[in-house]
Amino acid sequence: MSYWTAFILTLFSPVIGGFIYGLERIVRARMQGRVGPPLLQPFYDFFKLMDKRSIIIHSFHAFMGVMYLIGTWFALFVLLSGGDLLIAIFFHVLSLAFLVVGGFSVRSPYSVIGAMRELLHMVAYEPLYVLSATALYLVTGTFQVSGILHSEHVPLIYLPLLFIAVLFSLPAILKKSPFDTAEAHQEIIGGPEIEYSGKFYEAVYTAKWIEYVYAFFFIFLFAGGNHILGALLIIFAFFFFNLLDNVTARVNFRQMVAFHWYILIPLAVTNLMLIALWRS
Amino acid sequence: MEKIVYSLFLVPWVLALAVFLLPGARFHRLRQLITFLSLPALSFLTYLVWNGHLPLQIETPRWLNLAFTVYDYGLLLYFLYQGIKFRDFLVTVLALFQLFLLTWILLIMPESSVPDFYVDRLSAFMFLIVSTVGTLICIYATKYMEQENLERENRFVAILLWFLGVMNLAVSVNNIEWFFALFETTTLASYILIRFRWDEVSIKNALRALWMNQIGGIAILLGLLFGIKYYSFTHFTQFLSLSGKPAIVMIPLGFLAVSALVKGAQMPFHRWLLGAMVAPTPVSAILHSATMVKIAPYLILRLSPVIKGTLLAKLLIITTGFVFVGAGLLALTQENFKKILAYSTISLLGLMMLTASMGSSMAILASLTLILFHAVVKALLFMEAGVMEKLFKAKYIEDIRRLVERAPITVAFTSIGFMSMTIVPYGIFVSKWMAIEEASNFLSHGAYVGSIIFMATGGVILALLYFKVIGVMTRKRGEFLKFQLEKVPFAYLFSTVPLVLFVIVGSIFIAKLLCLSVNPVVEAVIGTPAPIIAKGLTLITPVSELYGWQIIGAFVLLLIVPILAYFVHFTGTDRVYEYTCGEKLELNIGTYNFFCIQVVEPFVETAAVALFILTLVLGGGLV
Amino acid sequence: MDFKSFRKKSPWILHYNTGSCNGCDIEILACLSPKYDVERFGILNRGNPKQSDILLVTGPVTKRAKERLLRLYFEMPEPKVVVAVGACACSGGVFRHMYNVENGVDKVIPVDVYVPGCAARPEAIIDGLIKALEILKSKGKDLELPSWCKADVKPPVNRAKLLNSCLEEFHGCRRD
Repeated sequence: MSYWTAFILTLFSPVIGGFIYGLERIVRARMQGRVGPPLLQPFYDFFKLMDKRSIIIHSFHAFMGVMYLIGTWFALFVLLSGGDLLIAIFFHVLSLAFLVVGGFSVRSPYSVIGAMRELLHMVAYEPLYVLSATALYLVTGTFQVSGILHSEHVPLIYLPLLFIAVLFSLPAILKKSPFDTAEAHQEIIGGPEIEYSGKFYEAVYTAKWIEYVYAFFFIFLFAGGNHILGALLIIFAFFFFNLLDNVTARVNFRQMVAFHWYILIPLAVTNLMLIALWRS
Repeated sequence: MEKIVYSLFLVPWVLALAVFLLPGARFHRLRQLITFLSLPALSFLTYLVWNGHLPLQIETPRWLNLAFTVYDYGLLLYFLYQGIKFRDFLVTVLALFQLFLLTWILLIMPESSVPDFYVDRLSAFMFLIVSTVGTLICIYATKYMEQENLERENRFVAILLWFLGVMNLAVSVNNIEWFFALFETTTLASYILIRFRWDEVSIKNALRALWMNQIGGIAILLGLLFGIKYYSFTHFTQFLSLSGKPAIVMIPLGFLAVSALVKGAQMPFHRWLLGAMVAPTPVSAILHSATMVKIAPYLILRLSPVIKGTLLAKLLIITTGFVFVGAGLLALTQENFKKILAYSTISLLGLMMLTASMGSSMAILASLTLILFHAVVKALLFMEAGVMEKLFKAKYIEDIRRLVERAPITVAFTSIGFMSMTIVPYGIFVSKWMAIEEASNFLSHGAYVGSIIFMATGGVILALLYFKVIGVMTRKRGEFLKFQLEKVPFAYLFSTVPLVLFVIVGSIFIAKLLCLSVNPVVEAVIGTPAPIIAKGLTLITPVSELYGWQIIGAFVLLLIVPILAYFVHFTGTDRVYEYTCGEKLELNIGTYNFFCIQVVEPFVETAAVALFILTLVLGGGLV
Repeated sequence: MDFKSFRKKSPWILHYNTGSCNGCDIEILACLSPKYDVERFGILNRGNPKQSDILLVTGPVTKRAKERLLRLYFEMPEPKVVVAVGACACSGGVFRHMYNVENGVDKVIPVDVYVPGCAARPEAIIDGLIKALEILKSKGKDLELPSWCKADVKPPVNRAKLLNSCLEEFHGCRRD
């Protein structure tokens, strides 16, 4: 992928992510037997938030929300520009760091608990992502995203267990049930995003859409050079995690970390070992 | 050239003597000046060595050998005396055992004509760290002790300076018997420094450090003994000649590696390093960063061409990788700021030794980068811990809550220190990245799969820990509007600012730094340089690239934060209180301390003991 | 660009019970259920005053609840509307003139829409919400104050101070 395509894609990623989010709200409503909001609902929210009077706790907290948006945007560009996959993953950590430090920086119990849980989310899914970067390297022979996208191999065939593991950790990244402890709207009312309002909340809200694009592009990589399969994978992943979101209740953070560490990571490692054995 | 190397040992000792002979409050300024002189003097000498013709082998007169033997006996007898004086069973017995082993070795010691000093780039690399980071800590210590105990300042700073000389000597000797003497001298130095405050806890912890490090000494002696028995080898360079040969007897190497694990405070021998925090903070700074524990990765790096690919290396990878994760987990449960730092040192030492035992050129490069940046960052963090302790009376996580309101500079420096250990553009991250990518090349063996898992999980646990601490420090009340920069004494700024600058500038120019400075060291260690290329700011490794714009972008993102925090206040925007469900509450936010993890502590330690024995028995080939 | 038309399309609500019998609260939640599904209009129950546009209040406002109600009201960014749901919230209902109630929400904060009924039917609540949206569209972004509060405010507003001065007026003396 050239820099220009990546740049344009990154620039429009909030739009893409907004559509995904709008579709998700409809799909979720239909799954619950409701009609649901219009497809453009996220954009209505976006423009409405633009018009609100902003109130802030203190300036540091407020601009950390904006930094979260910029950081996520940059992380997405790093991923899309075809550079190193591991570095793109760690840039994602960097962008989360802004949200977490912002969440910690106010004396709100909900925000601090949420930020702590956000870190635990990271502890849960981050090793899995590093392992999948390694696995993709083993299959395609490169860490460069552009190389993976032009590889003749379809990593999915070699990495079925790892793909299942990543699929199950998708809710942890996008903060959906069963792994939505960091947001937990009924419990801690949005966690680190609770104290943002008006335009500053808008930044956090938009950053979440960009994270959708980030996460789904990661799924896309599992199809390697076969881009049609990649699109199918994204659609499958989308419906799968919406289904998961609707049929499961929230687990607590210990269960979440335990599930990732004791079930998903061993699953991924098994896959890695099998492929290493098969290759040697 | 030889004179330059000698002066690298002697200059710190002369300066230490000068400082020691100027007691009292009157000469405080003079002592500071003398201590300050060590920085340009040692840096210049290191510069000369670095640019000189390396490797350098120095023949020494015979009387020096005798002198070292006499010194060995004196040192061990002093340990024995300390053991009897404080009625410490372990110290006494271990000292006696060492005396016995030493006598045995001296009886069967073969004559050898191998030069006793061997200064290559690895030694020069260690000189570099000692002579910059170490001397900055000494300068810091003059101010620190002024605020603590002016009467004993001369003694304290003199020991620190002397320690630097010892460290320089330790990394340049070739004779393993001499290395043992210097190994035990660093033990002695840490013993004296830890018990410096002379209270009950200090003495207890100092004795613990003493007996644990004595075990390391015994391991060296045993390694030397078996080396003489099997090969009649007494020098490191002789061991290096073994590399690449099949079916070598691993016992001496196994014991030397175990001594490195002990010195590097790997579990189960981590308690001595934790105990060191009772001493004044510069002691922790110097033990954790420039000296003492860095002997451990140094020793593994020395041996890595020989042990590469053997069972010993694989077991070392598993052991140190386990410590990397386990120490990180235990660090989560700690409340004391210095203890958190100590555990993270143990953890990162594990990573250094892991990459060093992998033995390929990229892994060695990663290990050296870690050593360099870890030394700088840990020195910085401990100095900031000392500043917090002295100026803001903050020792525990509870005390540093909302520190940013009182001390924005200290918080900024500490945050840079913490972030540089996890976040994307900094040097330690780059070495982790290279290590992960290198480990993926070897995935055919179980140990290497283990190393990937350890690197993936250990890194994220440390990130959790650091961001928790950063979060606690940067919390601020809504009513607090404008930052007031605190007044930090000049000596503190003088010793911390260069380190911060190095971390930032070194990370921006990481590609150049690795290619020009670290890669020659890699070549000296294993013979071939790592296949990396620097193109502008871009670092190109065999399998991937770290682009310059990524580094710059990350730095811009990170540097915007403090700048905006200081200048942007959104003064036109409404302020509001925190959401508390409508209740009017006195907000007093605690921290989550992960006490639930404490239950795993015995299991982690048991597993570490098991792995340790496994390394010694299977890796060393004792069966 | 005029964003006012988007206010109608994405109203987020905050629901607060000031001592109601829970009847109206159940009806409000029924509006979110599949049968009535107010998410069709983009309505979300945020549960967070800082991101909400509509404050749905039920109950007669007990003396203990009024300070909390005021706190929540000041935490909401303008433009905002208040909908009093149920007979109690409108006038005090069966609790009117009891020693522990304030006789309706409008004694504490300005109310834009009254939804009567005991309990208010979901259809009525939806109707009230739609009416509230019309009012929301026409509102400005200026700070809104309860009519009894004479505090002198200049933007930027420090809402903690504003709340304190309002409460002082309310109680006749400063309470901490």
